[in-house]
Amino acid sequence: MTPPSPLVLERTLEFFGRLRAAGLPVSPAGSLDALRALAVVDSLNEADYRLSLRLNVVGSPDQERLFEQVFASYFHGAPDTRRVRSGIRGEIMQGPLGHHDKDPDQQITADPAQFSASDAAREVDLGERWDPSSAPLEVIIRDLARRLATRPSRRLRAGRHGTRIDLRRSIRRNTRHGLELLELARSQRRVRRTRLVMLCDVSGSMDSFNPFLLRLMLGLQQLMRNSRTLVFSTHVTEITPALCSRSVPATLREIGALVSHWSGGTDIGGALALLNRGVIREGSASSTVAIILSDGYDNGDATLVARELAQLQRRVRKIVWINPMYGASTFQVRAAGMRAAMPFIDHFLPAFDAKSLHVLVRGMEKI
Amino acid sequence: MPELNQIDAIQTLFAGEQYIADRALALTVKLAGDLQKPILLEGEAGVGKTEVAKVLARVLDTPLIRLQCYEGLDANSALYEWNYARQILHIRMAEHDAAARATLESTIFDDQFLLNRPLLAAIRHPGPRPAVLLIDEVDRADEEFEAFLLEILSDYQITVPEIGTFSAVCPPYVVLTSNRTRELNDALKRRCLYLWVDFPSAEKEREIIARRLPGLGARLADAIVTTMQTLRQVDFYKRPGIAETLDWSRALLGLGVDTLTPEMLLETAGVILKYKDDIDRLRGSDLERLLAGEAPASGSSRQVF
Repeated sequence: MTPPSPLVLERTLEFFGRLRAAGLPVSPAGSLDALRALAVVDSLNEADYRLSLRLNVVGSPDQERLFEQVFASYFHGAPDTRRVRSGIRGEIMQGPLGHHDKDPDQQITADPAQFSASDAAREVDLGERWDPSSAPLEVIIRDLARRLATRPSRRLRAGRHGTRIDLRRSIRRNTRHGLELLELARSQRRVRRTRLVMLCDVSGSMDSFNPFLLRLMLGLQQLMRNSRTLVFSTHVTEITPALCSRSVPATLREIGALVSHWSGGTDIGGALALLNRGVIREGSASSTVAIILSDGYDNGDATLVARELAQLQRRVRKIVWINPMYGASTFQVRAAGMRAAMPFIDHFLPAFDAKSLHVLVRGMEKI
Repeated sequence: MPELNQIDAIQTLFAGEQYIADRALALTVKLAGDLQKPILLEGEAGVGKTEVAKVLARVLDTPLIRLQCYEGLDANSALYEWNYARQILHIRMAEHDAAARATLESTIFDDQFLLNRPLLAAIRHPGPRPAVLLIDEVDRADEEFEAFLLEILSDYQITVPEIGTFSAVCPPYVVLTSNRTRELNDALKRRCLYLWVDFPSAEKEREIIARRLPGLGARLADAIVTTMQTLRQVDFYKRPGIAETLDWSRALLGLGVDTLTPEMLLETAGVILKYKDDIDRLRGSDLERLLAGEAPASGSSRQVF
């Protein structure tokens, strides 16, 4: 065994820096373990050196691939074939979605007039898009929330009205009676509270559905306080705090001030990528339901949409997609983004107003 | 006791148990011992993840302690449980004995009433050789379970409130497997040596068949490997793993087949493919070309509309 020389150590640490820059989060504990591993293997044997580092710092097949690419480019000067993904750590859920390569001759798959790829700030008066006469969504949202929000857990908790006897707690409790079993402790099932993460498309092509969309976002956030709401076009902005205001006009004003990209272009894949690296990682997978509200018209990359949805699928319990365009009789799934997304969606709800959504939610089994 | 600190030696020992370990796996086993870190193996079903733990236990000649994960798995069935029936019996017996009554409170949570479940059993394994703890399909358990694995996997200790903390005298080899139906917690991954187990290469698959089924003719084995490698290029709902290769080889051996024909492939398709859609898809493809190693065009059965 050859313990690593100072030069090897130095190069290794520099290599970890490269990995981090490429978007692979090498933790201090991981790098320490990797260096400990080098002391027990033949660090001059390239395969062993490479594997010892890799085993300690990666956590998924994608990261394994990324590691191999960075390794080849750092130690052998191989051409860097990675897609440039700067700013990938989406802790800040606000920012331009320019972190993936855009295909220069990308195909535009819907009416080009609706895509202004520019994200110049524009004034959108949301007050005008709020239709106070539109049917209130409270009933349907309550229905949706009930179907989404609770389900019995398989875990137990202490509970006075439980049907099972908790012998462990019973014995401990009765030590005060000289271990005469006088009182029985019981346990019951926990109820799982679901967390909703809602991602709403506010690009130009969705403009005509704004009243419906605003009602839905407001209603869901008010009924389910632990959910998170984000809007996207070419940027992503979290509007959860704004939605918690008391009055509707104040909420609309706040959203208007917060979101400068309303009625902009669309980048679903980029928005999903930020979602996967940010908000989604904060909660537990089995208690999160993701709701995407979009027409699926996208001027980003459809393969990116598919890849990020595949990721999302492993990180949440269910993916629900509400698509307002689908209600129109002329609608076909032409949008490339939508087509790429279909295999990953658990519940596809083609709805464009309160009535159609109501019918769909009624028919939906409990998630 | 066989020393698992030479990569070549590990490969030889595993080969002796009919398991072909590549260098990455052998190095993982070595580092797991040297750094005392658990091994996390991810990969599709049927690529031999669980087998690693079984072989490791056979090589070390120590007990294999297995914990199969499922949703709702809790401390009672994974760590330990008190033997309530025995505790109550003990209480009843003490009622007639004044001396026993006085000490009852201190004896009732004694080691003799503790039932060791897999994780505690692995920690308390007396040695001298480390036990092998297999935590199988950890992605099936829920996040709460992952959380209480953390203490065990980083410090090799378990705390029982009524007694105290058990620390491992002889830390076990820990192998976790996951089919990647969901993403595991970062905190859990960080504590493990991570290895993605892929489908075997044609060469490795041939070697595995030759080792496991020496009775199979070389020509038929070649044909089987070619077919399996081709089938894996098709985006079936469940792509067949090495376990299916071995099952199929055994089936063909049992049927006394010496040449693969399209009819034979169709008749035995149930051994390789486990979904009706996948079998229908196979039925619709050009089997002659498939047996010759040519993958059918992909994507046709996956269309949603």
